[in-house]
Formats: sequence, structure tokens, C-alpha cells
Amino acid sequence: MRQKAFKVGLTTLVLAVAFGGLLYSTLREGAAYYKHVDEVMTDPEAWYGKRLQLHGFVADDSLLRRPDSLDYRFQITNNGKIVNATYSGVAPDTFKEGAEVVVKGRLSPEGFAVEPNGVMAKCPSKYQPKSGVPVRSAASTRASE
Amino acid sequence: MSSLGTFVLFVTFVTASYAAAASVVGARRRSTRLVESGIGAAYLVAALLTVASALIVYAFVVGDYSIRYVQLTSDTAQPLIYKLTAYWGGLDGSVMFWVFVLAVFGAFAVRNTRDSHRELIPYVVAVIAVVEMFFLFLMMVHTNPFAPFLTETPSEGQGLTPLLQNPYMAIHPPSLYIGFVGMTIPYAFGMAALITGYLDDSWLRAVRRWTMIGWLFLSLGLTLGMIWAYEELGWGGVWMWDPVENAGLLPWITGTAFLHSVMVQERRGMLRVWNMTLVILTFLLTIFGTFMTRSGVVQSVHAFGEDPKLAMMFAVFMVIIVTVSFGLVLYRLPLLRSRHELDSWASREAAFLANNWVLLFSALFVLFASMFPTLSEAVTGDRLTVGPPFFNKWMLPIGLILLGLTGVAPLLAWRKTTLANLRYQLLWPTLVGILTAIGLWIAGVRVWSSGLCFALSAFVITTLVQEFVRGAGVRAATTGSGRFTAAVGLVARNHRRYGGYIVHLGIVLMFLGFAGNGFKQEEQVLLKPGQQVRVGSFTVRHESIRVSQDARKQAVTATVSAWKDDQALGRLYPARWFFHKNESEPTTEVAIRRGVFEDLYVVMAGFEVQAQSATFHVVINPLVNWIWTGFGVLALGTLIALLPEQAFAMALGSVPSGAATAPVLLLLLFGSPALARAQHVGGSTTVTVPGTQLERELRREIVCTCGGCGRQLVADCICPTAAGMRDEITKLVNDGKSREQVYAYFIEQYGSQEPLAMPIDEGFNRLAWAVPYAVGASGLMLIGAAVFFWSRRRDEADEASSASDTDEALARRLEEELRDLD
Repeated sequence: MRQKAFKVGLTTLVLAVAFGGLLYSTLREGAAYYKHVDEVMTDPEAWYGKRLQLHGFVADDSLLRRPDSLDYRFQITNNGKIVNATYSGVAPDTFKEGAEVVVKGRLSPEGFAVEPNGVMAKCPSKYQPKSGVPVRSAASTRASE
Repeated sequence: MSSLGTFVLFVTFVTASYAAAASVVGARRRSTRLVESGIGAAYLVAALLTVASALIVYAFVVGDYSIRYVQLTSDTAQPLIYKLTAYWGGLDGSVMFWVFVLAVFGAFAVRNTRDSHRELIPYVVAVIAVVEMFFLFLMMVHTNPFAPFLTETPSEGQGLTPLLQNPYMAIHPPSLYIGFVGMTIPYAFGMAALITGYLDDSWLRAVRRWTMIGWLFLSLGLTLGMIWAYEELGWGGVWMWDPVENAGLLPWITGTAFLHSVMVQERRGMLRVWNMTLVILTFLLTIFGTFMTRSGVVQSVHAFGEDPKLAMMFAVFMVIIVTVSFGLVLYRLPLLRSRHELDSWASREAAFLANNWVLLFSALFVLFASMFPTLSEAVTGDRLTVGPPFFNKWMLPIGLILLGLTGVAPLLAWRKTTLANLRYQLLWPTLVGILTAIGLWIAGVRVWSSGLCFALSAFVITTLVQEFVRGAGVRAATTGSGRFTAAVGLVARNHRRYGGYIVHLGIVLMFLGFAGNGFKQEEQVLLKPGQQVRVGSFTVRHESIRVSQDARKQAVTATVSAWKDDQALGRLYPARWFFHKNESEPTTEVAIRRGVFEDLYVVMAGFEVQAQSATFHVVINPLVNWIWTGFGVLALGTLIALLPEQAFAMALGSVPSGAATAPVLLLLLFGSPALARAQHVGGSTTVTVPGTQLERELRREIVCTCGGCGRQLVADCICPTAAGMRDEITKLVNDGKSREQVYAYFIEQYGSQEPLAMPIDEGFNRLAWAVPYAVGASGLMLIGAAVFFWSRRRDEADEASSASDTDEALARRLEEELRDLD
């Protein structure tokens, strides 16, 4: 009986360690920090190269789009801090100047490079949460793929 | 109205508390009268909640905007159907809907089992009543759907979110709720068994069927949610591991685990604590899912509603559930001892155990990953988020392991499998699986996960076919009937097992659909009129953009032409709709060209009306329709497993040889994706309303095309063009044309969707959702018909009883011959 308990305990331990290790390593690749612009821009060097989800607002008069293309340049601001960002691809309808956005990507000295489908824009409307029902615009959904 | 509704809720709460109290006191004092009155009170709760539901629905229909909830989720211009579904379109109503479904479902369950489980019933009633009380309390203090505006009353509602104004969304929440609630019944029985100490396996028998019903509806709800995401959200996929989706998936996983491990307890008397734990967990996860999506504890796109009070109440309720339930399990531990030990790892119970572990692990993983942002914030202060890639990395291997087990487990014998038996069972399936893998490699498939999934699917399908063929062979040899009759007899005789196999087949088909995702191709481009883009073997050319108006919205519709290789597929009309009430939230109307092997999926993401240029997101989704077909098969299998024994016993009395062939062929026909295909190209299968009615509706759905009337409806327009169109409609309807055909006729006439007041999205494709139901319903009708006709023959054939005796012996022999070769 004691032997059996020992066996079971050992198996559980080995499995737990293996899964824990796997979980930790995949998390390190898969996870992104969720930060506000001002948190990051107080010390930008510390964040270079890390995957980020950056939360802020599209600055007024900053959203530019190259004609006949899907290339955007804009600035994200929050609590007085500003960061330049570039994005290429389909953006949600709610992606406008003044809109609250969460962008996925990496920060470098050149600015914030948003990854494909990495723009999520929250709509400024008065939404009631719906029960068991996603309230998301198509593009922001795609963006969180 | 508002105060009447609130009053009804109060009365319901009092009634529910009486039901709980009377049942417990009656059970302890052994007073039949008290117990009976408790049951009566439980029925009364269901009746009262039906009244409350009728009141809120009435308020929606007449547009009583003095009630805040009605004002928030409805408006006058909303179609009647969405006025009705607005009942569960928001938080307050959905809480009430939840408890309404629970009360009705619970009343049925109690009625159904009150005679067979006399000793458990009082406590079952009490547990259900307590859960009802929680939700009723929640409504009275926090989310009363009848709450009025205290100051001035608005005269018009805000309208339901356009995203929810979709037929799938109308039925998705109810089916998910029925699934959730269905899991409450087993929990109530489990608790009753723990409290009374009647822990033999009879309580399991009472709840197995309820669990299956709950599981079926959960599956339906999840599938509808996927269809909705695919068609309405327009991001080109079906599942994205959103916390809300996961909330529905968690109880489904543990429910699946329970349905498997319950068999081990029935056969071998093992895993009794484990089963009880699964029942409790499943119920807990339904509550937790509600909590997760409603309370803002997970900062997802959904959980806008930061609602600490609600979170608090749910947290308290869940803590109480956990403490009481597991406290009872610990208290009854001596009675829950297993009767057997695990004999060998090469046995069916071991395989089921493995399946349970993998399922439970996946549930824990999904829970962990959904809560990870919250957890990391709580622990480290940094909010870390994980996306779908992380989920996929883990769930892919888990899914593949489960798929493998699906094939292996049913082939193993109980207790211990011999090597010879293993070889006999696994030789062909393994060969087929390996050959499939080699074939795929040669064919140039290099996505390892999808390739492995295809090979495993081939393996599993072979095991299933082998089971059917061998079983039918044995049966045919002993009864001397034809193969088909034998196969039907086999399913009828062991309907739980073979129904389960059919469910497995459905799951395999769904897996194939998911695996197709590995070959998805997509492109995002900006096109001017006349420019085209090539994605995979498809070419899409942008033609033009049009803006149209109707009473509720402005629609921007693009016209694109599509080709597959060199074959023209005709035109597609992706659109964006701007509802007047929600200008900032346009809905995406995806244009989908469905196919057996792949879907062409076109979204207009952005547009410039002046330049006529538009941004398109073009996706090629391979095999996606197999997910829906798979669900249809799964539903059919579940129904076969669910049907009561009598239904089959009568049919088995004397099956006229050959009589079974037709239903089987029909089932094969209905179950095959060919039907889904036929739906799009063949005639319509919709039930036409009386011609005049259809005509009247059509006149309101088609606009005058003369160009001078400002897109007036044909019904209202007075110009000669409209008169001509009216005549055309009349003629078409009299020719027996369906609505879609009339649409198609006008689109063809005009070369675009100009004549339609509301742009359609390939009318026939919208019918695809009906396929799973059609399959399920046809199966039910066929079985019902078979039972009806064959049971009538019983009077003539008196040997039925003796036949069933030999059948009994035969079934045992078959079981032994196939399985217990040790």
C-alpha cells in the first residue's frame, strides 16, 4: 500500500513538473504585457523588444494613411505621454482620432510597430454588457486573434 | 406592469423558499403530505416564472418603455422576433430567463422521477429551489428586469445591439442556458444522494439522461455561437478562445468527462467519488461561467460591466456551493468506497480514466489561461495577456490525444485486454491511419497538426465502421436477417453504445473541420473597381460600391465577382450596415460562398464611396462546413442514446426484414454533407406560407427600380415600373417560386441586389444552419415512425416476447464475443 502511494505520488510529481515547465516556457513566448502608454514611456528602453499590449488614445490630428494603401501612422497618447506607432493592414471602424485603442506589437527606438491585426479599438458608445454575448466589432475581434 | 412583475418575482421567491423548507422538513419527519406540498410548490415556481416571462415579453411587444430593461434592449422599429429575443438580450433579462428555464426543467425532472426515486426527491426539490432562490434574490436586490424609470419615462427604446439581431443569436443563449440548467439537475440528485446516504448507483441512472440532455444543448449552444461568430463577426474564424466562449466550454468538457466515467461506475462500481466530484464541478462551472462573463473579473471585451456587487454575490454563492458539496462528499466518504481496483492499464476503464484526466486537464488549462491576465495582475502587479496562439499550442495536442483515445477506448475490453484481442481490434484501423498519413505526405500536406488529425480521424472512423460491421455480421448470422436489418437491430439493442459511436463520428467530423483551419489562406487588400486579388485558387474582383437606405439602416454594399481557377462563381455582395440607432457600430455582412471542401469568405473591411475603392479581407476556410455537419451527426447520436428503452424494444419485436433498410439509407442521406450541398443548389426546402402572405411580404422587401422613386417599396410605389414588378411577383409566387427564388430572379434581372430593400447574403446559404436540425429532426421522426408502425405489428406477432428473450441472450453473447475475450 505504501509502495503504491509512493508510486502514485512520484508519477504525479513528474507529470506536474513536466507540465509546469512546459506551461512556463510557452507562457514566456505567448504572453504579452498589458500596459498603458504612460507606464511604458516613462522608461521606454526597458521595454524595447518585449511583446506589449499598449493601451491609450489615438492623438488628435495624428492619424495619417498613405493614399491607396493600408499603411497607417499615428500617435497614441495617455496621461500626457506620446508614442509614435505604425500599422499596416485592416483597421476596425472604431479606429479614429480620439478613440480608445489597445495595440499589440513591439516597441523600438523608431516607435511602436503594431503587428498584423493588432489594433483593437473600443467603441466610445454607451454599451450595456450583453449576457453571454460578445460585444465586439468584427475588426477588434479579428485583431485579438 | 412593472410593479406587477416585481410582485410576481417576490411571490416566486417566497414559494421557492417554501418548497425548500417543506421538502426538507417533510423528508426528515417522513411526512408524505409535506413532501407532496414541496413538490407542488416547485411546480408553482415554474408556473409563476412562466407568468413573469409572459409579462416581460408582453412589455416588449407593446413597447412599455417605462421599464428600464425594455427601454435598453428594444425599440419600436425592431422586428417582432427580436422584440421577443430581447428578453435574454441583456443581463437582467438573462438572469430571469436562466431561472425560468431552471424552474421548468426542474419541474419536468421532478415529475419524471418522483415515483422511481421517492427517497431522493424531497432533497432534489430542495437543492433546485435553493439555486432558484439565489437567482431570484439576485434579481430582487440587483438586476430586476422589471425595474422602472423613477423619473420621466422615455417614449422610445434604444434598440437591441444590431450584432444580436441575428437568428443564431436568438437561439444561442436559450440553448446554452438549457445546457447549463440541465447540469443543475444531476447536481441536485447527487446532493440528494449524499444527504440521504442512498449512494448505490440508482441516482446515477436517474441523472444520466438529464446530463445527456444538458450536454446536447450545451453542444448546440456552442455550435450556434461558432456559426454566429463565423457569419456575423466577420473575422474569418469560428473560435477564438474568448473568455465568454471558454465559459461555455468548461462545463461541456467536465460534462463529457462525466458521461464517460459514469459508465465505469455502472459496469465496475469504481470512481464513485470521482463521479460525484465531476457532477459538482460541472454545476460549479456553469455558475462560474455566468460569474466570469458578468462580473468584469476578466477584463475581456465582454466584461465591460464592472459590477462589484454582482461579483460579490456570485463569489459568496460559489463558496457556499463548494463548501457544502465537498463537505458532504468528505462526510460520506466511507460510503463511496470503490468496489474494485483497477485490474490492468490495458482495459477500457483505464482508457476512460485517461480520457477523464485529459479532459479535466484541458478544462483546468482553459480556466487557467482565461484567468491568467487577472491572476498575473493579482500576483505580480503586471497584467500579462495571452492570446489564441497560446491556447492553440496547448489544446492542439490535447485534442489529438483525445481523438486517439476516441478510437482506442471503445475497442478495449473491460478489466483486461489480451494481446490477441488488441491485434484483432486494432490491426485494420492502425493500417488505415498509417496509410492515410503516408498518402497525405505524398499529397504534399505539410501542416503536421492537421495531417496528424486527418490520420487519426481515419483511424477512428475505421474503428467505428469495424464495430458496426462486425456487430451487424454477428447479429445477422444469429438472427438470419439481412445486414441492414441487423445493423438497425444492433443500434436498437445497444442504443446507448451505438448512439455513443455516432456521437464519436460527429466529433471526428468536427475535428476535421477544425483541422482545415491549418490550411486557411487570407489576404487583406485595397481594391479599386476592376482590380482583382488572387487567394489560393480563388480570384476576387471588385466591381462597385452602392449605398442604400431603409427604415432601420443605411447599407453600403460592394459587388465583387469571384472565380475558382477559371470557373466563374458569380457575384458576392459583402456589405456594412449602419443601423440608425448605432451609427458608430456598423455590422459586417459577410459574403460566403460555401463548398464541401472550402468556403470563400469575403469581408468588406473599409470603403470610400467617392473613389469606389474598398478594403477587402478575403479568407479561404477549408472544411469549415464539416463542423456544422459534425454537430448534426452528434445530435443524432445523442438522440439515439437518449431514447427510452421501450422505443427500441417495440421496434425490435419483429422487424420486417428489409424494412430497416429504408430508414438507414435515409439517415445516411440526411447525415451526408451532400444534403448541405443540395440545400444551396437544389430547390428550397423552406415551408412556403400561403401565396398571398408571401406576396405581401415580398412587396415590402423589394424596392422599385425605376430610379425616380427614391427606392420606395414596391408595395407603396405608384409608378408603372412598380406595377410591373408587382405583377412579376404575383406571377412568380403563383408559379410556386420561393422567396429566395424571387430574390434571385430580381437580382438576375437587375444584375445586382439593387431591387432588394435589405441586401441578402446568398439566401440559400442562410439555410445551412437548418441542416443540423433537419438531421436531428428527421432522425427523431424516422425513429418515431418506426416505433409506431412496428409496434402495431405486435398484436399479430406474439413471438415478440420470446424473440426479445433470445435477443437478450444474443446481446450478451455478442457483447462477450466481441469484448471479454479474456
